Amino acid sequence: MSDKLISIKNISKSFDEIPVLEKLNLYIRENEFLTLLGPSGCGKTTLLRILGGFEEPDTGRILFEGKDITALAPNKRPLNTVFQKDTLFYHMSVADNIAFGLKIKGKSKTYIQDRVHYALHLVGLDGFGERFPDSLSGGQAQRIQIARAIVNEPKVLLLDEPLSALDLKLRQDMQYELIRLKEELGITFIYVTHDQEEALTMSDTIVVMNGGRIQQIGTPEDIYNEPQNAFVADFIGDGNIFDAIMIKDKLVRLLGAEFECVDTGFGEMNPVDVIIRPEDVEIVSPEQGTITGVVTSVIFKGVHYEMDILAHNYHWTAHSTKMAPEGETVGIRIDPFNIQVMNKPIREDQETLVNE
Amino acid sequence: MKRTVKTIKGLYTALLILFMYAPIIAMIVLSFNASKSRAVWGGFTLHWYHSLFHDGPILSSFYNTIIIALIAAVISTVIGTFAAIGITRMRTFMRTSSMVVTNIPMLNADIVTGIALMLLFIACRMTLGFTTVLIAHISFCIPYVILSVLPKLSQARRTTYEAALDLGASPLQAFTRVTLPDLLPGIVSGFMLAFTMSLDDFIITHFTKGPGVDTLSTRIYSEVRKGIRPEMYALSTLLFALVLLLLVLINNAPAPGRRATRRQLVLSRVIPAFLIFSVLGFTLYHAHAGSVNTGNGQVVVYNYGEYMDPEVIEMFQKETGIEVIYEEYETNEVMYPKVASGAISYDVLCPSEYMCQRMLEEDFLRPIDMDSLKNKDNIGDEFWEICRSVDPDNRYFVPYSWGTIGILYNKKMVDEPVDSWSILWKEKYKGNILMQNSVRDALGITLKYLGYSLNSTDLDELTEARDMLVRQKPLVQAYVVDQVRDKMIGNEAALGVIYSGEARISQASNPDLEYVIPKEGSNIWVDGWVIPKNARNVENAQKWIDFMCRPEIAKMNFEFMTYSTPNTKVRDLLTDPALKDSDILFPSEEDLKDCELLHYLGKDTTDLYNKLWRDIKSK
Repeated sequence: MSDKLISIKNISKSFDEIPVLEKLNLYIRENEFLTLLGPSGCGKTTLLRILGGFEEPDTGRILFEGKDITALAPNKRPLNTVFQKDTLFYHMSVADNIAFGLKIKGKSKTYIQDRVHYALHLVGLDGFGERFPDSLSGGQAQRIQIARAIVNEPKVLLLDEPLSALDLKLRQDMQYELIRLKEELGITFIYVTHDQEEALTMSDTIVVMNGGRIQQIGTPEDIYNEPQNAFVADFIGDGNIFDAIMIKDKLVRLLGAEFECVDTGFGEMNPVDVIIRPEDVEIVSPEQGTITGVVTSVIFKGVHYEMDILAHNYHWTAHSTKMAPEGETVGIRIDPFNIQVMNKPIREDQETLVNE
Repeated sequence: MKRTVKTIKGLYTALLILFMYAPIIAMIVLSFNASKSRAVWGGFTLHWYHSLFHDGPILSSFYNTIIIALIAAVISTVIGTFAAIGITRMRTFMRTSSMVVTNIPMLNADIVTGIALMLLFIACRMTLGFTTVLIAHISFCIPYVILSVLPKLSQARRTTYEAALDLGASPLQAFTRVTLPDLLPGIVSGFMLAFTMSLDDFIITHFTKGPGVDTLSTRIYSEVRKGIRPEMYALSTLLFALVLLLLVLINNAPAPGRRATRRQLVLSRVIPAFLIFSVLGFTLYHAHAGSVNTGNGQVVVYNYGEYMDPEVIEMFQKETGIEVIYEEYETNEVMYPKVASGAISYDVLCPSEYMCQRMLEEDFLRPIDMDSLKNKDNIGDEFWEICRSVDPDNRYFVPYSWGTIGILYNKKMVDEPVDSWSILWKEKYKGNILMQNSVRDALGITLKYLGYSLNSTDLDELTEARDMLVRQKPLVQAYVVDQVRDKMIGNEAALGVIYSGEARISQASNPDLEYVIPKEGSNIWVDGWVIPKNARNVENAQKWIDFMCRPEIAKMNFEFMTYSTPNTKVRDLLTDPALKDSDILFPSEEDLKDCELLHYLGKDTTDLYNKLWRDIKSK
């Protein structure tokens, strides 16, 4: 993780006077796996298209290794894109598809042959060169798209939800493939997705976006454990989110009960948001709990049980390896360390999805 | 149960194929029929194929058809492809509006499109001709191309262009190497569609074409009047065989996404391409071989279909150095509005006498300088005389051809002497009588039978004639035009009302047939040359008319058409006794005594005639 490779400065973009990106600032370091994460319509794909050169920002600049590339045509940029949709050229064989960029650059025949061979090997599709795209499965087509991009040795690979069309198992396999590829190639990946699990699995850095603005930048652990606002909290993982009052440092009141926490600096008697992850909800006997409630449903999820507990008029979601049967009265206790206190949203786009 | 279903399925398929291909098989069979008639098998022959390749007008209309279809398809494919690309890049509202604009011409009736285009060309002061037909074809082909290219451009496919840019291709490279090949199937099918639509079109071509430009469809239409010539069957058969062969070969192409073997490539691409180019080359060669070096201006002739020996036109061009632009029409009623619209300035026309009268009344004609016609005295005095009833001073109309209406009967089926129209009302020939499906002809002979003038405007006389025809209707097998000849040749009826020219042709094919002009008199018609007021080449037009009056030229045309000629020198030049001694072609003065010319009766009386005719037909 060294220098800034790409700097995005004050980028704004609107379509038909509807703002899609608003004064966005971001930098990407060399050899980073950076993920733009957000719900559909948050501007992440537009940002990627601006990086690829397919859209021009209304204001702002893109710097690549310090040089302004804002107005540079897509074919002049040292980056390649793997598109969400299948964009293989159906009138060419797989090998010709992969060789397309190299042929445009006028590379020698033997060089092209070697590179195509290498790229096919890299994506695990040796011997597919003579096939035509319409004989490929979805996963194979997506791998060929990746091969077609990386064969040009770009400094940055832009990936626009490349796995969204694949089924779950294939998606998970491809996630590991991509991580392996990135390590083997040693290039920067900028990855766009709306799938938080995908983002958490693969990224070095996650940029959470909503409403054309950046909500939070951080490592997967930061984003998951320390969401900075209710939107991030809600979007990343499941959670119980509460309107709460910060009574004083390290003490918060939610649903009429007072909980100890570890957060300071939110003032006294201030309204805040609080998130508690389902796996942090401890189910204890009623007398041990800070509050009590009744189990209203139990679903077996494999590794754990997911339970819905009605306590103080709020449906808590709890994950636990121990099951409490439906109808039983239980106590709820929260480790102070697991209570995440956040400021109330200042802007609209930081509202939770639930409130939208 | 299962077997019944299978039988029904098979039967259905068989019927379907039968109905689709029976007409084509009939046409193929007829193309080898030595007899000119559609009703009689005269033995196997390749004659029509042989004469097809020496038939200038057919070959030149074939050439026009192919060239127009080809140019129109190429241009509309280019425009349509770019339009489709443009439309997909539009905002939603614009895109929807453009699609509506694109769809309307396809749903629009051809006749509306045709007339609208013709009016536009006239308004823009464009001369109707090859160019206007081409523009019209391009304009109606474009929507078809757009609609075949559009699906290939939609959604996902568009991003391949961006993918190519992303991989380093310039916009031009991306378009030529990715977008275009990706679109190619759509473009090719759009091209094929445009080509076929253009090839097929009749109505729009009919309205936008000018003199001397004929496509196959308009030529066939102009031949309908005299019966389609077997050469057309031969040409259609060849075209059908060519298309069939091309289809079979092209279907041999490899499935998409597979590499083609060399043999497949040769069969599915090289041979078809070779075939298409040889057909093109052939038509091009013939079109050029046929052109003559002309330098003394033009003459634009608008004549009946099949109404002149093509060789005569060649001879005129060679002798005078005047280029002949020759166009044909089917009926006076088709010719009239085209001339009246003023869209095309014709130099010389050949209307029937009643149409000449109408054009004179409407001041469309210019007097002919009769002194410049050195050969005009070859026209018999009696014909100048007859024509005075429409052209009182003989200043506008030079007789070219004439004939009568009479009864054609089959000697084997009618054993009594035929000399009166009354035989058409005899109960014993019920179902064996053929009448002309034409208001003036049907009412005319009835009026003559009743002893009135066939130009009667008297309501009582006309009502009486109508009632006669209503009474006759149950006896009539059919009201027809062209089929009188075929049906009589085929012994399908005993008696038929027919024109003398047709009668002679029928007699040549079936010696049992006899023609008679009934004693009550009949209609005599005369077609002749006139020069319209807006003619541009008056002098050339007069040279043309004079040329037609030469005995040897009149003889050639007479032998070609076998309608009676007003040229008195012709009979002496004839050698073929079948023509020379024909009573049909050269009737006695006695026969013609009570024959009358049809007159134009004015709008009100014409409406009355039509109303009476509707009464008859609807009873």
